[in-house]
Amino acid sequence: MVSYASQPFSSIDEVIARFAAHKYICNRRIATVVYLASSLQKPILVEGPAGVGKTELAKVLAATVQCELIRLQCYEGLDEAKALYEWEYAKQLLYTQILKDKINEVVGGARSLREAVERIAREDNVFFSDRFILPRPLLRAITADRPTVLLVDEIDKADPEFEAFLLEVLSDFQVSVPELGTLKAKHIPLVVLTSNNAREMSDALKRRCLHLYIDFPSAAQELEIVQLKVPEIHPQLAEELVHFIQRVRQLDLKKVPSISETLDWARALVLLNAEALEQQLVEDTLNAVLKYEGDIRKAQEELKDFLSRRKTERQGRETDADKDLLH
Amino acid sequence: MEQKILRFVELLRQNGVRVSLAEDLDSLQAVAAVGFSNPADFREALRATLVKRHIDEPTFDSLFNLYFRGLGGDLVEHLKATESALGFEDADLQNLIDALSQSVQELGVQLSELARQLLTADLGRLEQLLRQAARHVGLDAVERPFQEGRYAHMLAQHLGLSALAAELEELKKRLRGLIPSNDWEKVQKFIDLRLQDLTRAIKRLVRQELEKKEPTLRESERIDRLGEKSFYYLTEEEIRQMKEAVTKLAERLKNIVAVRKKRGKRGRFDIKDTLRKNLQYGGVPFRIEFDRRVKDKPQILVLCDVSDSVRNVSRFMLQFVYTLQDLYSRVRSFVFVSDLSEVTRLFEEQDIHAAIEQALSGQVVNVFAHSDFGRAFRIFHRDFLPAVNKKTTVIILGDARNNYNLPHEWTLKDIRQRAKQLIWLNPENRLTWGFGDSEMDRYLVYCDVVEECRNLNQLYRVIDRIVH
Ligand SMILES: Nc1ncnc2c1ncn2[C@@H]1O[C@H](COP(=O)(O)OP(=O)(O)O)[C@@H](O)[C@H]1O
Ligand SMILES: [Mg+2]
Repeated sequence: MVSYASQPFSSIDEVIARFAAHKYICNRRIATVVYLASSLQKPILVEGPAGVGKTELAKVLAATVQCELIRLQCYEGLDEAKALYEWEYAKQLLYTQILKDKINEVVGGARSLREAVERIAREDNVFFSDRFILPRPLLRAITADRPTVLLVDEIDKADPEFEAFLLEVLSDFQVSVPELGTLKAKHIPLVVLTSNNAREMSDALKRRCLHLYIDFPSAAQELEIVQLKVPEIHPQLAEELVHFIQRVRQLDLKKVPSISETLDWARALVLLNAEALEQQLVEDTLNAVLKYEGDIRKAQEELKDFLSRRKTERQGRETDADKDLLH
Repeated sequence: MEQKILRFVELLRQNGVRVSLAEDLDSLQAVAAVGFSNPADFREALRATLVKRHIDEPTFDSLFNLYFRGLGGDLVEHLKATESALGFEDADLQNLIDALSQSVQELGVQLSELARQLLTADLGRLEQLLRQAARHVGLDAVERPFQEGRYAHMLAQHLGLSALAAELEELKKRLRGLIPSNDWEKVQKFIDLRLQDLTRAIKRLVRQELEKKEPTLRESERIDRLGEKSFYYLTEEEIRQMKEAVTKLAERLKNIVAVRKKRGKRGRFDIKDTLRKNLQYGGVPFRIEFDRRVKDKPQILVLCDVSDSVRNVSRFMLQFVYTLQDLYSRVRSFVFVSDLSEVTRLFEEQDIHAAIEQALSGQVVNVFAHSDFGRAFRIFHRDFLPAVNKKTTVIILGDARNNYNLPHEWTLKDIRQRAKQLIWLNPENRLTWGFGDSEMDRYLVYCDVVEECRNLNQLYRVIDRIVH
């Protein structure tokens, strides 16, 4: 088994810098885990609420180490056929049609149905060979000629049975295809698994992985993200928007807005040429941030409070300035 | 350092964080990879390898601070408190410290080292002095809370606290004339407060050592609320927390099945079956047959004691039952005292508060009767045994206090034989099981899992153990 080609980061600071170059703001905790994953060759299990940058982390990781990103999106009922490989039935079918005569030859002279079936079975390795295999993400990561980053996204949506299977793949990076034999990885991929915590992952899987919990970002970080991703935003607007979003997250909401919503909102407000949060503007665009009627109402309350506070603050500042002038 | 990390891991385990041996080794590797130059990186390396559940992070953080950060944080806090007690802002404190050193120099007084560090607020050096003293008196031998006072006293003696007090008194006398009278009060107060800070630091040091040894001391500060607040209304947060715990429990129950079945492997392509199924398409393989496994939902019967002897934890237990019932379709619930009655329908139809209220009201079973587990189990055995099969997990919540009635443990034996597993959660402290009218010893032999459980923390611990 050939191990991961080279150690792509030489320090934690380098992780932070290279991620920033790809427009991903990572705090020291995230950077440490990424650094460890690449130097110890261990998978990362990233947990946390939706929209905090779990998927993006894997994408940016692939970009920074210049590897192909192979993504396996999980869902309920995902099985090995969809994750590992499938036989290309259509192609097999086509071949059987074209080779009808040949098949008749093989089956010809059989005295019973049973015997005909036996004869076909003897030849089935023709149809179950490389030629007819359709590799899915896991097999692609295993057979890739160059190192890859494998993203197993939203693993909590898959069934526990699938998780058990995945664990086997992750432990030795080899799979046995009954019809073809054992396939071994040429390069151990850098693996990122993400989970929105719909259910808890098994201890066995967790044991294998480094664990990273990403929470909503601090105000300072979120501001950085907004400025990076929506550079045309007016500085005052950016600051107010982040400040307001951070307060909204403290409310008792059905769905708490994530970074994606902050960014969507920032873009919407930029389109409207906003330079600061104003009552009407916010009311018109709040549905970019919140999806539920009840949540929107709660946020509107919060907004009134926010705006009136800002007003008194501004007045305070103005009178201070007046005083300075008088001196 | 390696030893120190391994001891820290041991501490995590004692405090309910599950760490396997493999993870021990991972943590050492990770620490080696990040090095020791930055304490924050060191902490994150340990966190990533040792803490795999988000709910364990507060435990990790507080233990990390206790174990690796030492007294530093506390010393800073004490100083801050003193600062605000003096009504100081910004540089006031530093100015006072500077002025004080100046005066001491002018007086030509040679202060003891301890007095000097205390008054100049050299916290690093101060911590060193405290640690030296701790080593000298063998503080790491402290085991129990009642020893706290004794060890604090020993430390104070070793540090020479009374000599220090005398020294500072003397200093105050001599400074009196030197310091301008409007500053004098603050200076005097500062010296007094710093002496208090030192005694606090000593106590804190002993306490920290003790907390390392006694997970229960810390636990009492933790999220114990659910059980204790039994007669209050449940808050949204408590409801949410219980949902989370129950979901995890159900996952565990399900995962056991998944792990056992894992060996079943990938459904292999079955050529004979495929041909047979595809005869209708003229023998051309349209539908490929794999042998598929059936998905499991947790199938649970839960029996909950609502008698007077468990009244302090009834709400916790019923909340557990209700949540289980609420989240999963194949759950049936029963409550019992001496009678036993099914409450599945009641729990399905009512909101959580109404359901719990009614279960405890005496309308479902007589809650004022004397507990009779034997009788209740016999009723269950008579009326519901057919509902128990190889897929059923049976969970019993109760204290097994049977008022000296017949225990009829054979009923459990029968239930156990038919069920997938039998779990008993007892809210009583394990130390008291089997004493007085407790029949726990008789019952537990028929259970697969028996755990002490009267709050969420313990419930999580149960969940952890179920895998073994
Ligand atoms: N730390 C970050 N730096 C830059 N952009 C981020 C960061 N975190 C999240 N984002 C942005 O937020 C959005 C949601 O992130 P995503 O990875 O899809 O979330 P998740 O997978 O956790 O649900 C993306 O558009 C991503 O670019
Ligand atoms: Mg995602």
